[in-house]
Amino acid sequence: MSNNGRKIKSDWNLIGTPMRKVEGLDKSTGRALYTDDLVFPGMLHGKILRSPHPHARIVSIDTSSAEALDGVHGVVTGQDMPTTYGIIPWTPDEYPLCVDRVRYVGDGVAAVAAVDEDTALRALELIEVEYEELPAFFDPFEALEADGSTPYVHEPKKADWNGNVTKKVHLEFGEVDELMDGSDAVVEGEYFFEGSTHTAIEPHCAIGLWQAGGGFQRQDGESSGKLTVWSATQVPHYLHRELARVLEVDQAHVRVLQPLVGGAFGGKSEPFDLEFCVAKLSMITGRPVKILYTREEVFYAHRGRHPFHMKYRTGATAAGKLTSVDAEIVLDGGAYASFGLVTTYYAGQLLCAPYEMPAYRFDSTRVYTNKPACGPKRGHGSVQPRFAFEVQIDKLSERLDLDPIEFRRLNFIGSNTRTINELRVTSNGFMECLESVERESAWKDRFRKLPFGCGLGVAGSTYITGTNYPIYPNDMPQSGVQMQVDRSGRVAVFSGASEIGQGCDSMVAYIAAEELGVPLDYVRVLRGDTDFTPVDLGAYSSRVTFMVGNAAIDAARKLRGMVQEAVAEEWDVKPGEVLLAGGLALWAPDTERQMHVKEAFNLAEAKFGTLGSTGSYNTPKDVHGEYRGATIGASPAYSFTAHVAEVEVDVETGIVDVKKIWVAHDCGRALNPVLVEGQMEGSAYMGFGEALMEEQVFKDAEHGRAGLHDAPSLLDYRIPTSLDTPELQSLIVESIDPEGPYGAKEAGEGPLHPSIPAIANAIYDAVGVRMDRLPFSPPNVWRALEAAREADTLRKPILNPGAGAPTSTPELVPGD
Amino acid sequence: MKAFANQNARSVEEAVTLAQQSLQGGQSVSFVGGGTDLLQLMKDRVVNRPGSELPDVLVNLKTVGGLDQVTPSAQGGATIGGMITLDALSQNALVRDRFRVLAEAAESVASPQIRKAGTLAGNVCQRPWCWYFRNGFQCYKAGGSVCYSVRGENQLHAIFGGGPSYIVNPSDVAPALVALDASFRVVGPEGERTLSAADFFVLPRQDAEHENVLADDEVLASVELPAPGSGMRSAFHKEMDREAWTHALASAAVVLDMDGGVVRSARIVLGGVAPIPWRVPEAEALLAGNRVTPELARAVGAAAVAGARAMSKNAYKIPLARSVVERTVLTLATSA
Amino acid sequence: MSAATEIVRLTVNGDRQEVGVPTHFTLLETLRYALGLTGSKQGCDKGDCGACTVILDGEPTLSCITPVWEAEGRTVTTVEGLASREAPHPLQDAFDLNGAAQCGFCTPGILCSAAALLERTGDPTREQIKEALAGNLCRCTGYTKIYDAVEAAAAAMQNGASVGGASG
Repeated sequence: MSNNGRKIKSDWNLIGTPMRKVEGLDKSTGRALYTDDLVFPGMLHGKILRSPHPHARIVSIDTSSAEALDGVHGVVTGQDMPTTYGIIPWTPDEYPLCVDRVRYVGDGVAAVAAVDEDTALRALELIEVEYEELPAFFDPFEALEADGSTPYVHEPKKADWNGNVTKKVHLEFGEVDELMDGSDAVVEGEYFFEGSTHTAIEPHCAIGLWQAGGGFQRQDGESSGKLTVWSATQVPHYLHRELARVLEVDQAHVRVLQPLVGGAFGGKSEPFDLEFCVAKLSMITGRPVKILYTREEVFYAHRGRHPFHMKYRTGATAAGKLTSVDAEIVLDGGAYASFGLVTTYYAGQLLCAPYEMPAYRFDSTRVYTNKPACGPKRGHGSVQPRFAFEVQIDKLSERLDLDPIEFRRLNFIGSNTRTINELRVTSNGFMECLESVERESAWKDRFRKLPFGCGLGVAGSTYITGTNYPIYPNDMPQSGVQMQVDRSGRVAVFSGASEIGQGCDSMVAYIAAEELGVPLDYVRVLRGDTDFTPVDLGAYSSRVTFMVGNAAIDAARKLRGMVQEAVAEEWDVKPGEVLLAGGLALWAPDTERQMHVKEAFNLAEAKFGTLGSTGSYNTPKDVHGEYRGATIGASPAYSFTAHVAEVEVDVETGIVDVKKIWVAHDCGRALNPVLVEGQMEGSAYMGFGEALMEEQVFKDAEHGRAGLHDAPSLLDYRIPTSLDTPELQSLIVESIDPEGPYGAKEAGEGPLHPSIPAIANAIYDAVGVRMDRLPFSPPNVWRALEAAREADTLRKPILNPGAGAPTSTPELVPGD
Repeated sequence: MKAFANQNARSVEEAVTLAQQSLQGGQSVSFVGGGTDLLQLMKDRVVNRPGSELPDVLVNLKTVGGLDQVTPSAQGGATIGGMITLDALSQNALVRDRFRVLAEAAESVASPQIRKAGTLAGNVCQRPWCWYFRNGFQCYKAGGSVCYSVRGENQLHAIFGGGPSYIVNPSDVAPALVALDASFRVVGPEGERTLSAADFFVLPRQDAEHENVLADDEVLASVELPAPGSGMRSAFHKEMDREAWTHALASAAVVLDMDGGVVRSARIVLGGVAPIPWRVPEAEALLAGNRVTPELARAVGAAAVAGARAMSKNAYKIPLARSVVERTVLTLATSA
Repeated sequence: MSAATEIVRLTVNGDRQEVGVPTHFTLLETLRYALGLTGSKQGCDKGDCGACTVILDGEPTLSCITPVWEAEGRTVTTVEGLASREAPHPLQDAFDLNGAAQCGFCTPGILCSAAALLERTGDPTREQIKEALAGNLCRCTGYTKIYDAVEAAAAAMQNGASVGGASG
């Protein structure tokens, strides 16, 4: 048993204890196989030719010289796959390779399969593309004002929108203007969140294998083939659907396999050009074809965090109760829609907890520009407004002379309630999160009391635990799991969940072991293959533990019931008195009466026949408002988080040193606290990186070749190293959700959000300077410090204006 | 990566001969030490030398015997082979003891793995890390006639000595070597020559394409450090926007010759702010004959950046450079 | 034009190998393509991320920017060579126990950097661990669990846990 001697604190034997991961040793010994580790006989290597222009018509493409090159086996262009796709069914606006127009530097125009990478690269150089350059849009506001005198990025989607608009959302709840006017204090702010990208350490990789004819006889007698694609994707099911649709292969003849994925963070959550290209090139060449993105291509593939331009007005009463919130947001979407329709809603919809808002309005517009498409990055659509809003709250607290933690407590929305936008909130551990970080950071003794240059900041947040509605409308379950037990006592779990490092393969194994009473190493997880694992929709929106976990419990309990019944019959007791635990079946009234689970399984198999079960989970569908868009943001449960960050600001240089972040997160129940802490620390780290150094910036027309990424390498795009990352202290809060598996919610995305505003608020506490623009890099912070020096506002803020407190009170600082 | 051949040299002279033979045979050639810079350039398909093709032949200098040694000279100075790794250099007892600024500079380079492979000569001769140059722009450094940073993204570019190119010298050890008044021994087809570290580097206004005086068939074989005076102490400090594997936003190599608490003379050289290691004589002069106080250190910092000119996005480098000079001088002069 | 090839002799995870590869191959390409050792990963192919780190004569080395000839006559240990026949390396076990590998893609490189550190310094401080791993980017963990694991492994090794592995 792998509970490491930890004291069992719950009704369960394994759940809630630290456990190994099922693939942990494979990963630490180098046995684990990722897509690029796979090699097939006769495999060709593919490369994609990419546009050097941000916006251009394709006049002609001549691939004849490339095709003639020795070692080249196949070349495809957009004409070979002229069907648009897109992760959101309402906005399919991408071709696998551009057909007539390129929309960003890096848009794919042709692909080659050759005997090796060097030959494929030489072949790319031989492809002649004639472009007619078009004026390009880089600034979202200019794109919004475009009048059509030059081609829009796309065709207009509505009569009164220009073609650079992906989506506009305007929603209003309550009496926004009246309550704002009646507020005792109103804070207005403008914020800019620079885009950032995922930078999973594994670059995207895919392998296509087309097996023509042979045994696949369609009903109409026509011979077909079978397409297999291995891909580093976090959405095998959607990839399966889109491959079939775009390449016109019967979905039943498409198989998607997902080897282990080397990080994703939202960056692999939709189909990408390479997956279509390896499939098509294999169909043409009859050989397996692999494409591995270069790191530069990963930066251009992007789909990362949207740059947000945000304006907020936030009102409160003198007593510190929020009155009204008014937001205006412009999202710089890049060249394609990606998840943008959802992002545009999330930008407003996910802000309505953990604080009660009597009135709320948001106006959110996503704009196309000629840059790589933005999409979902960890904390999709809600990290940016959360940054702005939590800074707004800090400003309001100060205006009202309230401790910002106290302000947040005063406005706590509570549990088992509805938000102003009518989202159902069940469990809510936010107050305990606040208490944890307040206590652990010695907040009361140190906030506003550290020496000038040192500061503490707090922020809170909420996030969804999956979405109540799938990406394409259907009434089928969101998650399915299949389980079987065999005569050896072993349990096989067939799971379609996407293991991207978060531990979902282990999660289903923990559940199987818990419910069926077998040791963890009796559980085999068979995964990542659309031919034999039931559908799960993918690893996005923090849905997997909740949904796949519930499906796994469903499957396991069906099997457990059969085993209990068979054993009860054998012992002549009630089935409910039979426990399965610790590798044994036990009689609850007298646990001396027991047998090995293997014998129990054999009794059940004798009674019921071969033992297998399916489990499924579907979301509640009636827990949102009736307005258009009300379903977006609806989740079966919400997680809650609070952080306190401690910083030191060098006022001479603008260098910010984040010393420590206390991370308190309500994950419902921690099924395995080690993995939950890992998600919390990884999230807090990623938010820290976005706060201090990350910028996904593209050159505009004045800056050399327009549309080029500033920093498409892991040197120039700074992500934090071990030396940068602050101390991270995880504080798990368990609110026990009524609908989650054992009460679990999510931990993978929520704990990113508060890092950024907590650091911004800590910088203010340190030097009295507001950072309303990301990142807090030396140039940006120094500029803000200079402005404060000129305005003579560079000083330690004081908690109680009018009380004449000194600018710093170092004697109150507890010794280190 | 483009295919290339490898030739192991057994001596510096043989390396030069091998390079010449390749050049005469119409093949482009590069010398390689640790290869950490060169292989990146080749994978990015950025030309190693302006106007030349990606190299067909790499002449390996790491196989030259004895080129990785620190040899003390009779007078108390030292000769350091160009192929010593940065890691070995930073840990060498003699260097740490007598030429601390060089050890500290070496240990601040890049990442642990790069310091294990990268060499002293390679670090001195590395090409600029300007993101335009490294991303295939036909700028001055790639044989073109424009510096894209002038109107572009120049956060990391020069505040001293720029024009027509505004790259910065990215080396950490180079400012330390200039501050130590090192001499460079360069070996070429005509034999060898020795020049001062300060004369090795060239400003873009003298030669926009090259960062130093090395010809294609010349090798930086070793550096010679003069004997330190009895009161010499030295230090290097580097400010970065990430704490590992980035280049200096601004760095300072400071060498003080102290007589008790009084500075006899000082050499201060900045890194990361100019196309060459940038010496600041006005700041040095303020120190001569004086005891270092916080006020004096502040004045020295201010003097160091008196001639700086910001571009559109790198004004923050001026206070950064000032601060790194002030703090390094103060700490060094007042440490026990 | 086909590239020139050469025969390189090196010891990899205890096996003496003679392998014919194009002269422009990196050590990483040689390991992954010629020797089938796919444990070492390609994350950036430019020496920026550290996922390709192997141990070359005791030193953590970026195999993606190391020309294969650099390894001539030398000893290479990859992640596959850290374990002994009997048991995983204490680091490998500690990474699993402590949740130090999430997606696992940076893990082989980090393990090689950490193993080289523990060879030099049996009982490293957290600061020394951070320094030793500064050239290995991890995007999942926030590094905290990695420090925990290295410390746990160091403690286990101080307490006599055996280190197998081809590097000895």
